[in-house]
Amino acid sequence: MKPDAQIKLVSQLLDLPLVDKDDRWCGVVDDIELEGSAGRQMRIKALLVGPGAYRGRLPAWLFAFVCRVAGDRVAKVPVARIEKIAAVVHLDCAAEKLGLHVTEDRVRPWIPHRGAL
Amino acid sequence: MLRWALLLLLLLLAACSKGAEADLPSIGEARSLAAEWALVNEQASQGHLTRHYVDTMRQSCREQIETAAKSLTQPQSPYGAEIAALLREPDDASPTVLRAHAIRLKQIEDSLESA
Amino acid sequence: MNPLELTLGIMTAVGGFVDISELVFAAQAGSNFGYALIWVFAFATVGIMVFGEMCGRVAAVAHQPVFNLMRHRLGLKLGFVTLIASVISTLITTSAEIGGLGLVLHYLTGAPYLLMAAASVVVLGASMWVLPFKWIERTYGLLGLMMLVFAAALVAIHPPWGEVARGFVPQVPQGLSTKELLKFGYFAVAITSAVLFPYEAYFYSSGGIEEAWGPKDLTTNRVTTTVGFALGSLLAIAILSMSAHLFRPLMVGPQLPGTSALEAAIPFGRTGLLLALLGMLIAIAGAAVETCMANAYSVSQFFGWEWGRHKKPWEAPRFTLAWSAFLLVPLAIVMTGVDVMTLVEYAILFSILVLPLSYLPLMLLANDKSYMRQYANKWLAKGLGWTYFVIVTAAAMAAIPLYVMTAGGQS
Repeated sequence: MKPDAQIKLVSQLLDLPLVDKDDRWCGVVDDIELEGSAGRQMRIKALLVGPGAYRGRLPAWLFAFVCRVAGDRVAKVPVARIEKIAAVVHLDCAAEKLGLHVTEDRVRPWIPHRGAL
Repeated sequence: MLRWALLLLLLLLAACSKGAEADLPSIGEARSLAAEWALVNEQASQGHLTRHYVDTMRQSCREQIETAAKSLTQPQSPYGAEIAALLREPDDASPTVLRAHAIRLKQIEDSLESA
Repeated sequence: MNPLELTLGIMTAVGGFVDISELVFAAQAGSNFGYALIWVFAFATVGIMVFGEMCGRVAAVAHQPVFNLMRHRLGLKLGFVTLIASVISTLITTSAEIGGLGLVLHYLTGAPYLLMAAASVVVLGASMWVLPFKWIERTYGLLGLMMLVFAAALVAIHPPWGEVARGFVPQVPQGLSTKELLKFGYFAVAITSAVLFPYEAYFYSSGGIEEAWGPKDLTTNRVTTTVGFALGSLLAIAILSMSAHLFRPLMVGPQLPGTSALEAAIPFGRTGLLLALLGMLIAIAGAAVETCMANAYSVSQFFGWEWGRHKKPWEAPRFTLAWSAFLLVPLAIVMTGVDVMTLVEYAILFSILVLPLSYLPLMLLANDKSYMRQYANKWLAKGLGWTYFVIVTAAAMAAIPLYVMTAGGQS
């Protein structure tokens, strides 16, 4: 499915995993930013990825706990960067260009780069 | 809601009841451990087991029986005395002797269950 | 279909089927109720075949492991609840497996149990670091075939085969008191939980992605989950049958995990004992790896992290940290000195509670033609799947009352 088609936000987009152009996992669609207003056509503006996007989707106490553990970062993936929506959301560029994969890259130096076959 | 709360309370009380019936799990445990100990000694005497296995199984049996003995609500009861006698047996006790303890504990277990 | 790959897949499933919960409950089921619980093992095995096949099919066709799409199906809140519940239950299971490893090494070497538990975690961690996914699975699965000594021992002791066969017929023994009936019910629930552990679905489906399964692998998937799981289940049934024949007349419970090894020692002496202990060691080690990785898969997939052992550890750093943590936390639990049998009971109990939440998204996904296309569930898979879903839900509701009323199967 292309991102400009009619889409059911909850059943066909929300909470789908994201995969970048190199087939790397780079998060989950944690929330969706829309543009438009009531009574007019709504369009997807961006996908929101990161623990900060859980606000409103989790109870306040749980959201506060999650932010304490994982931070409240939110990355915005513009709709123009979505190549295809299927079982996952395929992006047309590398994760780093969209501010995704940040934590992965931060944690990577902690892991010894040797010994694995 | 009230019905569920009462049911939960009854279940908790049943689980916490004192007396011989509350000791049934420990009696059954001690009975089984006595039988396991007997079987280990029997197989050891036939050369079927390794030294490490025999030593560690005997030690585990004894430790578990001690734990069961400590958890008895009526340690002065006949079954308490039987378990204490079991603990006085040497590690390499005869399988026949150990099984005799298991049989007596089984008889006590059965009589308590049918009471 | 590559015959060698298929054979390896089946053998891996056989060697990897039994874990410490099945070892303990199979032996106790036989000693308590003779052959009367064999049918529960067989019945539950059909369930894991059904769900396992679905997991593999979803992985091969939708190229998504179950937990990836679980959040999408259940939503964030319910998905979070499922994640936390499954992580806790699988964590307890990993603790039971690590404790079991420590015990088996203690029986083999005489070295202190806690030291052996720690040493085994080091070895497990090293194997998971060094070996890619396929070799982790194959190593533990194929070495676990030493468990076949139990099957050989069953033949050697000449059990009453008629009674063993009759055990496959659904039954409740006649003349049981109310307490014994409740205990029978508890064992039926516990065996169902042990065979249908949710971590097996998570691990198997993620494994399908690790091995880059596609629609061409559907036959391999079907054969592995049916033939492999069936043969693995026969091992557990062999342990149960030997316990019925050898232990029940001698009033053996059994209370110690090491007692099961006597089933091979009685007919085969020291060689049988060593093969049994080594087989148990590898089977439990394989289960420890599976449970640890299942948790790491679940968390990584839920949050969209890089994951998988088809990548090098530094290519999926958060996944690597996750499985490391899911090895160390269970070790810490074991180090508190909690009894391994207690851990096994709690693992069984928590897992059965999580089962309905674990298998519901799988059923919804496998039925969904928008993901599965022509490979969506047909009438047989649908019928069996929903039947077993109802059964595990009923078992989940009965689990805690039965546990309390029978003092964990002791009375």
